[in-house]
Amino acid sequence: MIQLLNTLLIGITSGGIYALMAISMVLVWRSTRVINFAQAGMALLSTYFGYEAMVNFDSFWIALPVAMAGGALFAAIIEVVFMRLLVKHSSSGPIASVAPIIATLGLLGIIRAVVSMIWGGQDVRITGPLSNDGFSVGGETLVFSPLKLLILVSVIVLMLMLSILFQKTNIGLALRASAYAPEIARLSGVKVDLVRTMGWALAGAAGAVAGMFQTVNGNGTLSPDSIEFSLLLVSGFIAAVIGGLESLVGAVIGGLLLGILISFVLMYVSSALFFIAPFIILLAVLFIRPQGIIGAKAGRRA
Amino acid sequence: MKALHRRKLLTATAVLAVFGLAATAIPAQAAEVGVSSTEIKLGMTLPMTGTASLGYNKIPGAAKAYFDYLNANGGINGRKVTLVVKDDRYVPTEAVAKTNELILKDKVMALLAPLGTANNKAVASSVNPARRGVPVLFVNTGFSGFADTKKYPTTYTVLPSYIMEAKIMGDYIKENFAGKKIGLLYQDDDFGTDALAGFKTAGVNFAVKVPYASGSQNAAAAAGWITKFKAAEADVVILFGVSSATSAMLGVAAQLKYAPQWMLGSVGGDATTIKLTGVPAGVLYNAIGFSPVPATTDMKDEYVKFFSDIYAKAVPGSAFDLNVLLGMNTAFMTAQALKAAGQNPTRKSLMAAIDSKGATFANSALVPAAYSKTSHVGLTGYWVGKYSPTGDLAPVGGTYVTYTTDSGSGAVVKSTYKRPAMPAKGLPN
Amino acid sequence: MVDELRVYQGASIAVYVVAISSIILLTGYSGQVSLGNGALMAVGAYAAAVAHISWHLPIVACFFVAVIAAALGGALLGAAAARLSGPYLAGTTLALAIGLPSLANQFSILGGEQGLLFDVGFPPLSLGEDFTQYKWFFWIAALATLIMMWLLQNILRSRYGRTWRAGRGNEVAAQLSGINTGRSKILAFTLSAGLAGLAGAMLSMTIGTVSPSAFPLALSFSLLTGAVLSGVTTLSGVMIGAVTLVAIPEVADVVAHKLGTSESVTTNLPGLMVSALLIVTVLFVPNGPVEQHRARTAKKMAAKNK
Repeated sequence: MIQLLNTLLIGITSGGIYALMAISMVLVWRSTRVINFAQAGMALLSTYFGYEAMVNFDSFWIALPVAMAGGALFAAIIEVVFMRLLVKHSSSGPIASVAPIIATLGLLGIIRAVVSMIWGGQDVRITGPLSNDGFSVGGETLVFSPLKLLILVSVIVLMLMLSILFQKTNIGLALRASAYAPEIARLSGVKVDLVRTMGWALAGAAGAVAGMFQTVNGNGTLSPDSIEFSLLLVSGFIAAVIGGLESLVGAVIGGLLLGILISFVLMYVSSALFFIAPFIILLAVLFIRPQGIIGAKAGRRA
Repeated sequence: MKALHRRKLLTATAVLAVFGLAATAIPAQAAEVGVSSTEIKLGMTLPMTGTASLGYNKIPGAAKAYFDYLNANGGINGRKVTLVVKDDRYVPTEAVAKTNELILKDKVMALLAPLGTANNKAVASSVNPARRGVPVLFVNTGFSGFADTKKYPTTYTVLPSYIMEAKIMGDYIKENFAGKKIGLLYQDDDFGTDALAGFKTAGVNFAVKVPYASGSQNAAAAAGWITKFKAAEADVVILFGVSSATSAMLGVAAQLKYAPQWMLGSVGGDATTIKLTGVPAGVLYNAIGFSPVPATTDMKDEYVKFFSDIYAKAVPGSAFDLNVLLGMNTAFMTAQALKAAGQNPTRKSLMAAIDSKGATFANSALVPAAYSKTSHVGLTGYWVGKYSPTGDLAPVGGTYVTYTTDSGSGAVVKSTYKRPAMPAKGLPN
Repeated sequence: MVDELRVYQGASIAVYVVAISSIILLTGYSGQVSLGNGALMAVGAYAAAVAHISWHLPIVACFFVAVIAAALGGALLGAAAARLSGPYLAGTTLALAIGLPSLANQFSILGGEQGLLFDVGFPPLSLGEDFTQYKWFFWIAALATLIMMWLLQNILRSRYGRTWRAGRGNEVAAQLSGINTGRSKILAFTLSAGLAGLAGAMLSMTIGTVSPSAFPLALSFSLLTGAVLSGVTTLSGVMIGAVTLVAIPEVADVVAHKLGTSESVTTNLPGLMVSALLIVTVLFVPNGPVEQHRARTAKKMAAKNK
C-alpha cells in the first residue's frame, strides 16, 4: 500500500517537472509553429545561470528569477538571431520541411557542448529552498516533501497564469493571432515579430523553472551529462505530444500522466526499462490518440 | 547526371583502393616504444568528466604528484616518467579510441591503471594490447577475470577482486549478522556479476537484490531502490556500486529517514567523495567499510603522511582521499617496477620485473600482493572498518585487522602480513 | 607511408560512409527525418554479435544477419511511423535513439551494460605477418562498403528511387499519380535500416565489442551532420561527410593542444564542432556542397548559353 502511494507520489513530482518542460514546448509551438528540440538545452543553460546566482547570493529565491530572466533573454536572442535566419535561408529546397528540426538539434548540441566546456569539470550544486525530507504519516515516511509540494503548486500556478495570459489578455490574443494568422495580425497592427519573440521568451522562462526544479528534486547536482537532463529532453516532447501540443492544460496533464506511468513501470515491471519506457509510451499515444488528450485538430502533419 | 554519379562513385572507389594499397605496404614496426634516453612515457584512460567521474578524476593529479616528486629526485636511472592522460567518460568505445591514440599516436611504453571493467574488456578485444606486447599495469578495476593470464597475458591487477571483497563481506556478515535479512544494491554488469559470484561462494542468502543499470543511477531511481529494500525489511544493506550510485542511495535515504546497517563496497566507499555530494556525515556514521590501504586520516601511518605531504604541495586545496592514496600508491609501485626493469627498460623486462619481484614491491597496502611468474594477481584482501561520526573510515578500535582470500574457493583467513618499512625518502631502491 | 592509426581511421570512414548513406536515403530521397539510425545500427550490431557468439556463424554471414535484423526493425519503425511526419517522427525517433540501446540490459543474452564481444579474429596467415588486425578490419569494411554503395546506387536509379523522390516532393501529387506513398515510405525505412545495421556491425568489428554505450544520441547527431554535410539529396558527396566526421576529433585534438585548454574543453570540442558544422551547413549550404556546386555550374552554363 505504502509502495503504491510512494510510486504515485514519485510519478506526480517528476511528472510536474515534465509538465513544465511541456508547457515551454507548447508555448513555442503556439507562437511560432516550431517544435524546438533545443528547449531542454536552453533549460539547462538557464539553470546554470541560476547556479551562478546561488553562488553569489546564496538564495534560491533570487536564483530562480535570475534563471527565468536569463532563460527568457537567451530564448529571445535565439528567436531573433537564429530562427529568423533559418526561415530566411531554408524556406525552399528539398530540405525545407526538416531544416528547422535539424537546426534546433544542432543548437541543442552546441548549447550542451558549451555548457560542458564552461562548467563541466566542476561540481555544481544547487540547494533547494525547502526541505526535501519526506513527510511522516503514521510512522511511515512518504516520498513527498515540502519541496515536492512546492514544485506541484508552482506548476499549477504557472499553468493558470499562462492560460489567463493567453485567453484573457490582449497580449495573449496577439500571441495566438501571430501564430495562426500572421498576415491578418500584421494588418491589424500587431507587431508579429515582436510577439513571436515574446512567445519564445515565455517558453525560456518556463524551461528555466523546469531545469531548476529538476535539479533540486534530485540530489542537487547539475551536469550536462546527467540522466536528469536526457529525461527533460525526451519527456518534455513526449508530454507535450500526449497533451496535444495545443493547450497548456493538456501539457500539464500530459506531463503528470507521463511521470506517473513511467514511475509505475519502473517500480512494478523493471527498472531496466528506464530509458525505453518513454519511447513506448509515446508510440502508444501516437497510435491510440494521435491528436493527444486535448488536441482537437490533426495538426501532426504540420 | 548519370555519368557524374558514376564518376563520383568511381572516384570514391579509387580513393579507398589507393588508401588500402598504401596501407598494406607498411613495413613492420620494430624497436622499443615510449622509452627515450630522457623519458619514459606511460598512458592512462579514465573518466575525467561525466557522471561516473565523481572522485576518480583526481587520480591523474595524484599519480602525477608522485611522478613529479620522483623526477625531481633523479627519476628512474636519469629518465623522467611522464603520464599522458585521456578522458574516456567511462564509455567503452571512447576508451578504445583513446587507447588507440595512446598506443599508436602518443606511443606510450605501457598503459597505467586504465579504469573500468567494461572499458578494459573493450580495449582488450579491440586494441589488443596483449598481441602488441603492451603492458597494462595495475588496472583500476576489481574484475577477477583480468587475472586470467591466458586471456590477458600482459595485464596486471592491483586492487583485490570483487570476488575477494564479496567473500570477505560474506564472512563478516556470517560472523556478525547471522540470521539477519541482507539486501544488496549492485551494478548490472560484470562488476556486479563478479560480486554475486563471491557472495555465492561465501554462502550469503539475500532477502532482496536490487540491480541498477550503469548510467541510470540518480535520486529518483534511489527512491525506488529504497522502497524495495524497505518492503523486504532488510536489516543490512550492502552498497556494491560506483560512487555516484552509493551517494544517490545515501542522500535519498537521509531524506526518507531510512537507516539500516549500511555496508559499503570499496569501489564506491570513499567517504570524501560521498560527503562532497551533500550526504550528511551522520548518515555514514557506523556504516561498515573496507579498504586494502590504510585509512586516509591515519597520519601515524608513514605512507599516508608521506603521500599526503607530497599531494598537499602538488595540488594545494584538494582533499587527500582514497582515490588519491590509491593513485599515488599505484604510481609508487610502477616506479619500482620500472627501476627493477633494468638500466634499459623494455616492455618485456618491465613485465618480467613485476613477475619476479612484484610481490616484494614496497607499497602502502596492509595486505600482500601475489605477483609471480604464474600469477598477475595484485592485492589479496581488506581490513574492515567503520565510519566515524565525521564520516571517515577507520579501523575498529584503532588496530587494523586484515583478511585475505583468493578469487576461487579458498577460505577467508585473518592475515598475519607485516608490511615492510617504506624505502628511504619514498623512492624506489 | 600510412601508419596504423590511419588504417584504423580508414575503417571508421567506411563505417560512416554506409551509415551516412542510410540517412541520405531516408532524409534526402524520401524526405523523413529520423534520429533512430543510431538505434538501428545497434540492432544490427547486436544481431551480428549474437549470431557470432551463439550460432558461430562466419563473419560474412553475421553481417547478413545484421542487415536483415535491422531491416526488420526498420520495417516495424516505418509501419509505426507511417502516420507520423516532420517533428513527430523526429521526436519519436529521438526517444527511440535514447531508449533502444539500453534495452540490452534487459536480456542477459545481450550482455547487459557490458555488452558482447564481437571478435572477427585475426587475418589469415596467408596474408603475411605484417598484415595487422586493423588492416584486416579496413579491408573487410572497405569491401562491404563498396558492394553496398554499388547496390544502393542501382536501387536509387531504379523505379523505387523515383517513387521516393516523388513522394518527397509532394506527397499528395504522388498519391494522385497512383504511388502508394505509405508502402514506399516503409520500403525506404527498411532499406535505410538495413544499411544502418550493416554499419553497426562494421562499427562493432572495429571496436571489438557491442554495448549500449557505443550508440549514444550523439552518434545519431553525428550521422545527421555527416548527411547534411555530404548533401542530403545525393549520394555522391558521402565521402565528404564521412571523412569530416572522422577528421573532427583529430582536428579538435590539435586545436586543444595548441590552445592548452582544460579537460572539459578538450573533451567537448569535437561535439561542439559537429553541432556548429551542422547549423552552418543547414543555414548556408542546405543541399550540401555537391548540389551547391552543381547548381552553380548549371547556372553558369545557362548564363553562357544566353
